[in-house]
Amino acid sequence: MGRFWRLVGAAVLALFSLLALAQEEEDPVKEAEKQKKQLLEQSGGVLPSDLFVAQGEQLFKTKRGPKNASLEACDFGRGPGKLEGVVGRLPRYFFDTRKVEDLDSRIRTCMVRLQGFQPQEIRRSEVVAIAFYLASLSNEQPVTVRPLMPQEKKLYELGEQLFYLRAGPRDMGCATCHVTYVGKRAGVLPYSDILKDKRAASHWPAFRYSNDQAWTMADRIRACYANLGMPAPDLYSEPIIALTLFMNTQARGARMDLPGFIR
Amino acid sequence: MKKRYWVGILATLLAGFTLSQQGPFQQRVQQAINSGGSKFAQTMKQDPDQALCSQYRDKLPPEQVGAFLERQRALIKYPANGKLMGDWKQGEALFTNPRKGNCYACHTGDPKEAGAGRMGPGLVGYGARGTSEAVVKYTYDKIYNAWATMPCSLMYRAGHHGILTPEETAHVTAFLLDPASPVNAKR
Repeated sequence: MGRFWRLVGAAVLALFSLLALAQEEEDPVKEAEKQKKQLLEQSGGVLPSDLFVAQGEQLFKTKRGPKNASLEACDFGRGPGKLEGVVGRLPRYFFDTRKVEDLDSRIRTCMVRLQGFQPQEIRRSEVVAIAFYLASLSNEQPVTVRPLMPQEKKLYELGEQLFYLRAGPRDMGCATCHVTYVGKRAGVLPYSDILKDKRAASHWPAFRYSNDQAWTMADRIRACYANLGMPAPDLYSEPIIALTLFMNTQARGARMDLPGFIR
Repeated sequence: MKKRYWVGILATLLAGFTLSQQGPFQQRVQQAINSGGSKFAQTMKQDPDQALCSQYRDKLPPEQVGAFLERQRALIKYPANGKLMGDWKQGEALFTNPRKGNCYACHTGDPKEAGAGRMGPGLVGYGARGTSEAVVKYTYDKIYNAWATMPCSLMYRAGHHGILTPEETAHVTAFLLDPASPVNAKR
């Protein structure tokens, strides 16, 4: 009999510790939803990302730059001025620049070609705001990125290579955390499962409530390198576009949640 | 007969030449990395064993493991005074400093430390192994160069990369093994 009660006691204890563990391991998606709701209540229904979207829309539609033109004729892959769902189709090959471009670099291309800005005078904050505006027009649309053109296939392979490349003072690469050790966490943050969880790449550009910043995928990639103690690749550079192409291809079929709202 | 001989030599030379060249794909990868900026290109330069781990995606073919471990073991350096266990208090600071060991990002050390990660095994009570010479050396080696015991482990080679000096490695070793360290506090 004594043995029986000891067993029951052990079972109850185990149950309690499991419950405690479950509480500790907060699901990041649920946590973000909670934060979003709180922020909405505090602000009377306006999210910080809405402000970026509004700013981006204004920048997009206003005639600016040496050529005094708006960006409304910009072709993001569905034809000039067709903006719905374009975020889920990028990166892709563009015949006019003969390059595979992601959202950020395509915005920059149009600011150069349509508005006449010099690449070096383009402000990053403006590109991000415009990216948020375009994101708002792609919300709930599917990710359809599929490397078909030879240039896209090549860049995809390159992105895969970079994704698995381990280097630097901490001997790491993207895959170390996002594939090999997925499900574990460093510090308080769990790592997204880039290969299997389609949500991972389908919520960029996103507002990060933990540091109050608006980020595109390029900013995410650069911060990952910085976290590993490695100097990040330049904005709009090929490594960023290649990695984005690789990751967005993994997210094909996901319904986008844009602009994202994440920790 | 003689002709065949020459063909053989030529074929060997050609094979050698082909193998010694960087493949077009590798060249393309290098080009892309270079386009990310000079500092990025510098940091993405791999040593041969980082390249192996990337190539095999952390699962080395068994026949390569022995030589890999041996190369990594040869990289381990020890403190000049020969003491592999230093001061646990200094070790604790190194364990939690994100710019130094940053160990707690993946391992629980002192259970009171908030926000410890779970990428690696928890280390609470690690000192139960005792402080025999073998245990101390194993612990020191693991911290200094994790790849000398586990090829392509996630754990970075803190000593090899100079993130921890040999003396600092000894301090972290003490943080894990010293009976007075909070890692080994009686609970």
